[in-house]
Amino acid sequence: MGKVFCDIRKCLGCKSCEIACALEHSESKNIFKSIREEKKPRQRVVVRSTSKEPFPLRCHHCEDALCIQACMSGAMYKDEQGVTRHDPDKCVGCWMCIMVCPFGAISRQDNLALKCDLCPDREDSFACVEACPTKALFAGTWEEFKEKLGQEKR
Amino acid sequence: MHYVIVGGSAAGISAVEAIRSLDREGKITLISDEEFSLYSRCLITYFLAGKLAEDKLKYRSSDFYDKERVDPLLGVRAERLLPEKKNLILDNGKELAYDRLLIATGASPQMVDAPGSDKEGIIGLRTYRDAQLINARLDRVKRVSILGGGLIGLRAAYSLHARHKEVKVIVKSNQVLSQMLDREAADFVRRKIEQKGIQVMTGFAAVEFLGEKEVTGLILDDGRRLECELVIVGKGVRPNLELVEGTGIETEYGIIVNDYLQTNLPNIYSAGDVAQTKDLVTGQSTINALWPCAVAQGRIAGLNMAGKKVKYDGSMAMNSVEFFGLPVISIGITRPKGKEYEELAKRDEKNFVYRKVVLKENRLQGMILVNRIEQAGVMGILMRKKVDVSPIKTMLLEDRFDFAKILPIIKEGKELFAEREFEEAIITY
Amino acid sequence: MKNEEKSIDKASQEILEIAEKEGIDTAWDRYEAMVPQCGFGELGLCCRNCLLGPCRIDPFEEGPQKGVCGATPEIMAARNLIRMIAAGASAHSDHGRDIAHTLLLAAQGKTKGYGVKDEQKLFSLANELGIRTDGRDKKEIAMEVAEKVFSEFGQQHGELQFSHRAPEKRQALWRKLGIMPRGIDREIVEVMHRTTMGVDNDCVNLITHGMKTALGDGWGGSMIATELSDVLFGTPRPIRARVNLGVLKEDEVNLVVHGHEPTLSDVIVAASQDPELIELARKNGAKGINLAGICCTANEILMRHGIPIAGNFLQQELAIATGAVDLMLVDVQCIMPALSSVAKCFHTKLVSTSPKAKFPGAEHVEFKEEEALPIAKKIVRMAVENFTNRVKEKVNIPKEKMDLVAGFTAESVFRFLGGKYRSTYRPLNDAIINGRLRGAAGIVGCNNPKITQDWGHVEMAKELIKNDVLVVVTGCSAIANAKAGLLKPEAAFQYAGKGLREICEAVGVPPVLHVGSCVDNSRILITLCNVVAEGGLGDDISDLPVAGAAPEWMSEKAVAIAFYFVGSGVFTVLGNPFPILGSTEVNDLLTKRLEEMVGANFAFEPDPIKAARLMIEHINQKREALKLKPVMYEREKVMVK
Repeated sequence: MGKVFCDIRKCLGCKSCEIACALEHSESKNIFKSIREEKKPRQRVVVRSTSKEPFPLRCHHCEDALCIQACMSGAMYKDEQGVTRHDPDKCVGCWMCIMVCPFGAISRQDNLALKCDLCPDREDSFACVEACPTKALFAGTWEEFKEKLGQEKR
Repeated sequence: MHYVIVGGSAAGISAVEAIRSLDREGKITLISDEEFSLYSRCLITYFLAGKLAEDKLKYRSSDFYDKERVDPLLGVRAERLLPEKKNLILDNGKELAYDRLLIATGASPQMVDAPGSDKEGIIGLRTYRDAQLINARLDRVKRVSILGGGLIGLRAAYSLHARHKEVKVIVKSNQVLSQMLDREAADFVRRKIEQKGIQVMTGFAAVEFLGEKEVTGLILDDGRRLECELVIVGKGVRPNLELVEGTGIETEYGIIVNDYLQTNLPNIYSAGDVAQTKDLVTGQSTINALWPCAVAQGRIAGLNMAGKKVKYDGSMAMNSVEFFGLPVISIGITRPKGKEYEELAKRDEKNFVYRKVVLKENRLQGMILVNRIEQAGVMGILMRKKVDVSPIKTMLLEDRFDFAKILPIIKEGKELFAEREFEEAIITY
Repeated sequence: MKNEEKSIDKASQEILEIAEKEGIDTAWDRYEAMVPQCGFGELGLCCRNCLLGPCRIDPFEEGPQKGVCGATPEIMAARNLIRMIAAGASAHSDHGRDIAHTLLLAAQGKTKGYGVKDEQKLFSLANELGIRTDGRDKKEIAMEVAEKVFSEFGQQHGELQFSHRAPEKRQALWRKLGIMPRGIDREIVEVMHRTTMGVDNDCVNLITHGMKTALGDGWGGSMIATELSDVLFGTPRPIRARVNLGVLKEDEVNLVVHGHEPTLSDVIVAASQDPELIELARKNGAKGINLAGICCTANEILMRHGIPIAGNFLQQELAIATGAVDLMLVDVQCIMPALSSVAKCFHTKLVSTSPKAKFPGAEHVEFKEEEALPIAKKIVRMAVENFTNRVKEKVNIPKEKMDLVAGFTAESVFRFLGGKYRSTYRPLNDAIINGRLRGAAGIVGCNNPKITQDWGHVEMAKELIKNDVLVVVTGCSAIANAKAGLLKPEAAFQYAGKGLREICEAVGVPPVLHVGSCVDNSRILITLCNVVAEGGLGDDISDLPVAGAAPEWMSEKAVAIAFYFVGSGVFTVLGNPFPILGSTEVNDLLTKRLEEMVGANFAFEPDPIKAARLMIEHINQKREALKLKPVMYEREKVMVK
């Protein structure tokens, strides 16, 4: 299934990934209904920028995940596919994960940590990658991503 | 190969997982003096506050020892260590031989040495047992005195306030959280907790405890009497060094280890709150008695014990805490002394927002974030990698600071950001 | 962003610091929060014109390359661009329409507070429009002029009267290209038709029509607004005044008027001088009533009455944040809806007056020409009564205020440069021909947080006048240059090249001439016509050694203005580009191929000095083509490569 990678040069800051991510994590999965849901659907990817260049800031599901090491309640863990998952039942909102994540990819909602879960409801695709209109976001393994970059004459 | 681990908390469990990632065959025995095992000490205050059920205290599943094929000796103490014989003598008389030994005996709360300190109801707060003792008394308790304004003290105060007790925190120094925060940030926290009804008394110490068998009050150093039915002592912890006394293992505050978490004796490693390691920021040999440090050290000790040489780049002082919706994170040196440090800060008192960074030669050495904590980890990685942050010095204090702002720095210093996850930025930015 | 990076104006920097401390957010803060802005929008590759969309085209060529209807980048970018022209032209034209309407009502005797102030101009216009003047009452003439002009808005065929002021050669070119505007509103409606789904899908065709629409603004709506405003309120003459936040007074009632139409601001001037109201102010503890303006309406009353200007576009929130504004009065255009949030932090009353422009949090006092003066007095009274609510601790008036000279028009240029006895453009033309002046340039347009406030305007002006280019300014650019001291005659000694300095010294004018508000860009068109007519510098506007620029533009109105200048033959440089760079074809059309069509191009250059160099090089090329003598005091070979 792989992970999500990004070719930063192709990000245009349209924020379609943000909307798609929030939508994927909503109850209704419908753009018109989701904005009225009681528990506001939250995106886990946020488009930020250097000074002018946009860039989608998200969890990298690090191999040696610092958040898992720092988590004192065992809420952060790796599943069988190597995805860094978060169990809201175990989370106590201590924010140790936020303290160590080098990307600042973890945010807070209702006193629980919030981060990318690689769309567990989907078979083998990710909402943000599907939504990206410039294909800056890529789904696959690191090797596949590097191959794709190598193929392009940029 | 027989691995023996003395101590079953953060460092010990982390070492088990690290060893098993390399060696599925070797025998592992884990000795812990606590019957209740696989729980997170940091969650004890949440448990005490009534916010967490007992089963949620465990941060690994109860079949952990079975799955990892570990022989746990719970409720057992290692009494003596004989390094020449590579032997441990347990409190039940049994002997245990080892090939590789990890001493992760942790630390114990520093209690108060004053008249009456042997009365019942004066309790440190570290273990599950401490929490049970406290819980057992709570229906007889109306007022609680907390000795110490550090993390344990304030967390204890927060928990007992949540159990509707009248809480007073007695702090020797002139601010709370004096190890973690500077005066300004500490006062934000103090203002918040006082607003919610927890009383804080700074500049005082308890000199005597009152009562018959059970504590009924205490006397402060200014002569005043405070009535209370429970005293919780949060005055720091002392490493548990009894096992290594007289063995020739070098100690100072704690057990001294090298970059591979080895003690001066062969085949003996140490990790966690008992071990003295290099502080990444100050460069000094120190104990950073913090959960993430213990986990990291246990892991690296385990890897080294199983034959893979992995260097520990050092521990950092780092703390994250939240009181009444006000989160606070600090990393590194927060109260620098010396002209070589540069302190930059920004505050919005009305909204309880405070941001401070401490720099030395344009390298980030410390930070405090009150309220807007989201980017703490980004500052943390800058500290860990010791990069020159002058291009973004003023940006550090902005609300808008985030990982994207350090992309140019990562690109510049790509040899330092060797982890795979940074490669994407290095190639495509 | 540090405050020094947000603005070069010290008054702005001072108030920005206060705003930060008080937690008042400004346009700069909102811009920072908005960054990164969507690249599709910036490139013009997004279309929302129908529900087959919204569509985006991927500039990196991996995603979709056409909209759902099949629109290519050229079509999307061109459609979006000419809709901006339509919007800008609509704003100016509506303004012109309102002025024409006011003249009509005034002529019919239905208004309180208006009359014909410049009879000479009225008669001259009447003659131009073919209306009989001898022996007739000026009210009758005014009515007929107003009706005739009014009719040009709804005209379906024919040509716009004022477009006949352009050189014959230019008019012939417009007719040949089919871009002679037929009626002001008609061309705008046609833009909306062409750009709706499934109509015009050829980018050259689209942009050509866009240019036609813009010409209907420059030679139509805007020019009507300028000319009739002169008739109603007086043609400006050189006048001294002051500018910047320091014009607000601690001990007087501060009434700030913001927006665009002088129908409102001019009558407020009269109302604020009413002795009864001044007495009321004194009773309330104020020494008097201090009227100041923001944006173009400020320029209108500055040009005609010397009323001080408090600031330009990006200072509208800052003016309120001084805590000294008792009432801010707004009509239409360039008014930020954020104003009411700022006003709420102070005692300031925000009053809207136009039925077309209502704002959340503003009190609406509808302005009607029929009751102009009484309504104006009512509003001034509201300001006076609010004076006592001022909170002294919150008042922070920066001390920055700068002297300036304004009030230059196409008429006064030749009155001045012609000398006392004969009003003529000859001396101006001669100065250009013999090289004392290299040429002339117009710097116009807005502020934009994307460019440090005023930096674009002022650096460009300095670079141009250093190279003996006479500069004329309008709108927020004029205010920017005024704040920097370039509108003082003394500025010639400090900043101008030798040739320009000699002229300024001789005539007593500043090296940068303020010719008015944004609709008064039409004055520049008239001036260019007069220069051509005077002779010796070619026979079309595109022959002249002149250039235009809008270094800090933001408004759709600027797009319309830029297009009517290029359509009239003036090379124009914009700071930030139009949102069309996603289409190389449209970019080429605008920056290269338009020259073959209309004799002028656009250029996009955010650095004001580089932009000035582009303009100077262009002016030099025009001089060469006209075989003029070399520039008298050539400084260096200024070539841009």
